[in-house]
Amino acid sequence: MIELINVTKSFTNGIHALSGINLHIGKEEFVFLVGSSGAGKTTLMKLLYRDEIPTSGKVIVDRINVTELDASQIPYLRRNIGIVFQDFKLLPKRTVYENVAFALRVTGALRSTIRRKTMQALELVGLLRRVNSFPDELSGGEKQRACIARAIVNNPPILLADEPTGNLDPATSWDILQLLDKINKRNTTVVVSTHNKNIVDEMKKRVIELEGGRLVRDQQLGTYNVK
Amino acid sequence: MLSSLEFFIVEAFRSIRRSALMSFVAIATIIVSLTIFGLFLLLVLNMGNIVGSISSRMDLVAYVYKDLSLDDAGVIQIKISNLPGVEKVEFTSKTEAWNNFKDEFNSKLNLNEVVYDNPLPHTYMVRVRNADMLPQVAKEISSIDVVDEVRYNGKLIQQIKSLISAVRVGGTALVIMLSFATLLIVVNTIRLTVIARETDIYIMKLVGATDNFVKWPFIIEGIIIGVVGGVTSLLILKLSYEAVVNRILQALPFLPLITDYGLLMAIYATMFFGGTALGMIGGYISVSRVLKNEMQ
Ligand SMILES: Nc1ncnc2c1ncn2[C@@H]1O[C@H](COP(=O)(O)OP(=O)(O)OP(=O)(O)O)[C@@H](O)[C@H]1O
Ligand SMILES: [Mg+2]
Repeated sequence: MIELINVTKSFTNGIHALSGINLHIGKEEFVFLVGSSGAGKTTLMKLLYRDEIPTSGKVIVDRINVTELDASQIPYLRRNIGIVFQDFKLLPKRTVYENVAFALRVTGALRSTIRRKTMQALELVGLLRRVNSFPDELSGGEKQRACIARAIVNNPPILLADEPTGNLDPATSWDILQLLDKINKRNTTVVVSTHNKNIVDEMKKRVIELEGGRLVRDQQLGTYNVK
Repeated sequence: MLSSLEFFIVEAFRSIRRSALMSFVAIATIIVSLTIFGLFLLLVLNMGNIVGSISSRMDLVAYVYKDLSLDDAGVIQIKISNLPGVEKVEFTSKTEAWNNFKDEFNSKLNLNEVVYDNPLPHTYMVRVRNADMLPQVAKEISSIDVVDEVRYNGKLIQQIKSLISAVRVGGTALVIMLSFATLLIVVNTIRLTVIARETDIYIMKLVGATDNFVKWPFIIEGIIIGVVGGVTSLLILKLSYEAVVNRILQALPFLPLITDYGLLMAIYATMFFGGTALGMIGGYISVSRVLKNEMQ
């Protein structure tokens, strides 16, 4: 589902965010991306949805060569990738419903389809009670649920979550990870970057560790630190 | 596209409401430019109309002081009427002219006692098809040997014509400059609303919106601003023109001002579509620029 071949990313300021990354992630996988701050986790994710372009190497997502993708095709790539952010990136002046429906609107979906799928996604994340609330009126966990609902409302085959629990308390973090696990079980590839040791250790998923832009560990049933 | 139209329109109005003051400035600018544009158009067209009606009444007069036989006079008349641009030629012999003159004045004084010789010339009244041809026709008639003098009122017409073309050139330049200024203001107005919504746009693009999808609300915002400006200015022009024309025609009922409904409608339509186009192009330029410069 996701493949990186010899990927390097250097920024114009001379920072090598990623060097020589080779990686394959299959369809049903749930992967933790770990590594200290500045290791390159966010950069790696941005390469997948073409927010950044690799300096060299090849990125393939859902059989699409992202590196060579024509700019006009980027929107269609992104409709196949749900993205969850640490800071939620919800639109403040719109309700939860509007925020989630937004991701369907941009595809030009019919109003009835938008309504049905939005409600389904909100039900899945357990936010039906808050459809008409504005982001300001939500707790951190609820905001993240809204963000996840938006990410999956299109039924994308891939879900990327960049530090989804960075702003949440431990119990809420745990709920969010359960939700991501549930989504993974519904046939979605899930990649989660995190600094949350307890969760990684508890969930026993595949763990990929970056350090200074290099892939230093790729471990099935892994833990946050090397044992 | 159609299913998104409602969304685009709602977004456009939302955006206008959020930057109400700037939108108002943009609309006011459009109103000013379009009204001036319409005023100049009406001014030029009306002046042209008036000149046209004056020049259609324009005649040219040729005098022959020598004695002419009636035969010779007839030959010259035919010669003149065969000149290109000549519509009609009337001949008045010096005798006829003298008799007419005497008929008119004999009641007041006895001319025969004062003047023994007929001092009047033979006269050819020449009607020319169009005022532009007057100088040429006059030249041709002057070159006939026996003709002593040719007179026409060409100078006034020439002056009015050059005034019209000055107004036309000045008006066109002013309108072009105003259009650019208006476009600039519309572009910047909408650019501000685009920048205010940069995060929205970034998120829209992250969830897979195409550039066109992102652009449409702003283009529609421009169209709305343009339509409001266009309609307002055409109403201002229509009402004030009608009032002014009524006034003038009360004082000078024969002045050939433009009251033709079709032509006026065409001018108003031009203003409406001009405003719409200004707004639409402004919206398109601003959102395209921001998308290009500030996001990849
Ligand atoms: N747009 C950019 N321009 C220049 N340097 C950048 C840019 N984005 C990231 N970097 C640099 O690339 C390196 C990797 O950054 P990245 O955000 O991928 O790290 P991270 O693993 O996500 O860190 P964190 O855990 O703190 O989120 C860092 O040194 C960062 O400063
Ligand atoms: Mg990061």
